[in-house]
Amino acid sequence: MWMREQRLLVLVAGVFGLFAAAALTQEPGDRAMQIGTLLPRQIDGWRAGADDKTFTRDTIFEYMDGAGEIYLAYDFQRLLVRQYAKAGAPALAAEVYQMESSEDAFGIFSHDLDGQEVALGQGARYAAGFLRFWKDRVFVRLLAERETDETRAVLMALGKQIASAIPREGKRPLLVDCLPTEGLLSDSVRYFHKQVSLNCYYYLADGNLLNLSERTEAVLGRYQRGEHKVWLLVVRYPDAQEARSAHEQFQRIYFRGKPSAESPARVEKVERGEFVSVQWEDRFLTLVFEAQDKETCVRLSDAVTGKLKEVSAWKRQRAK
Amino acid sequence: MEATKSEVTRRDFFTGAAYGTLGLALGLKGLPRRAGAAEPFAAEKPVSTVVLVRNEAAVGPDHQINAKVVAEMLDAAVTAFSGEADALKAWKRYFRPDDTVGIKFTRCGWMTVPTEPEVTEAIAARLRDAGVPAARIHVKDYGMPLKECTALVNVPSIKAHTLTGIAVSVKNYICFASGKLERYHGDGSAKLGETWLLPDVKGKTRLVIVDALRPYFGPGPQLNPLHRWDYKGLLVGTDPVAVDTVCLRLCQVKRNLFKGEEWPLSPPAKSIAAADTEYHLGTSDPTKIKLVKLGWSDGVLI
Repeated sequence: MWMREQRLLVLVAGVFGLFAAAALTQEPGDRAMQIGTLLPRQIDGWRAGADDKTFTRDTIFEYMDGAGEIYLAYDFQRLLVRQYAKAGAPALAAEVYQMESSEDAFGIFSHDLDGQEVALGQGARYAAGFLRFWKDRVFVRLLAERETDETRAVLMALGKQIASAIPREGKRPLLVDCLPTEGLLSDSVRYFHKQVSLNCYYYLADGNLLNLSERTEAVLGRYQRGEHKVWLLVVRYPDAQEARSAHEQFQRIYFRGKPSAESPARVEKVERGEFVSVQWEDRFLTLVFEAQDKETCVRLSDAVTGKLKEVSAWKRQRAK
Repeated sequence: MEATKSEVTRRDFFTGAAYGTLGLALGLKGLPRRAGAAEPFAAEKPVSTVVLVRNEAAVGPDHQINAKVVAEMLDAAVTAFSGEADALKAWKRYFRPDDTVGIKFTRCGWMTVPTEPEVTEAIAARLRDAGVPAARIHVKDYGMPLKECTALVNVPSIKAHTLTGIAVSVKNYICFASGKLERYHGDGSAKLGETWLLPDVKGKTRLVIVDALRPYFGPGPQLNPLHRWDYKGLLVGTDPVAVDTVCLRLCQVKRNLFKGEEWPLSPPAKSIAAADTEYHLGTSDPTKIKLVKLGWSDGVLI
């Protein structure tokens, strides 16, 4: 009898697991992702508090005030917050963010890459009692009230358990693969959509100079060029016309006071002896900032053009 | 060709053509200097004075706050700022027994960079010593009974902020606004200064006391412990813009040290510039500010 009950329990758990996995593998458009199933009720003596909190796009400000704008800019969908406590030990807080896409999970993860890289999920960083990672459409933050050897170990264990519960990996943004690799400072890479995000990483202008929106994708990276560092920004627009419009606007405002130019590629010397370039091709803009010479702008821009041609998904789109 | 407001760019900022005092406050390289201008934060005839006090014992190795030391720091800073002979006289200079005082702190629970309770408790204790009854001292983040308050003490923490560049005293009154606070998110939160001009707020702030015990300088939007450090300080002033400008410099220097290169606070803290030029709440020009430094000097950074 006991064996039969045990088999029944295993069967139920298996079916439950299948549903949980199915929920997590649901395609975009299906909103019912069960992120609550990712977090255990207890781990290594830490027990979950009675009251989880959940937040949606409409209520995220209730949790984190204005900082919610950053998550909204990454198409955040739902957040689950759970506290863990253990007698005599620092408390833990777990935040599980369901994003609309794995690309956006990567993006919000890339917002802050300071910390030690750890092998967890599809990308993870740890520092001083704080662990975060991304996998598929999920971004996870785990924070200990205080770092001890014990809390470090339990954060890692909790992270591994959560990552294991997410059944598959998601796609990295294709645009990130269009960054040339030579000299790229990998911890500088940021993926985003909107002006509010760009302003956090690299203030360009008060206005939305590049017409960024939820319909655009952008990647920012920094490169070592000799003793100097150079910024590269690549933006993908819904179509070539929008890219062209942004190209014109950028030149008109950013190169204000300089003679206008009709060329799709332009390099200008600006203050502090630096060079800035902007290049328009199809639905892409490529911009270089803080270069020390014109050649750096040209070489980086050309390298991006080469990469864009390599990327097979866009090759197919260009063939349409 | 001059820029319109919406066409201000990085080039304008880094050349001082726009938000010039902010760039100066941040110590950005290559900014033009006005002939005859004082060194930043060393004005001989200041428009505003800010007092910074630090004590190595204010924060312990596990980040515990020493309440007794904090109370002593508070007394030292307020006394120095007021020019009075002792702490009680100093507090009585700013608060009367018939005042109803609101101590507005920053809870910021989600980011865990709050105003430390030891700071607000020390302030409340000194208010009681100055004769203000406990029943007329309100220590609040949200829910301040503003209509009752005849005086306010603005007691923020220091944190770099994804929307405003930095959030200190100018931003601390956002809770006093009614309706959806998201309306302050746009345009670099430039409109935050208007919260100081609300009818129940205007003219009531007697002191700005900034909790600089454990400031946060990172990119957010939430806490990364790597981006927080035990500065062990308090700042006191009456000009919120000047106080915030000092905090801008502090965070910027720390960021540069952390990265080993210039890591500008981003976006530019327009709310501080606007608090100066649009709302006239004080000065953001570091050459018009005098910073008086007391106490522990290791790692003072400014």
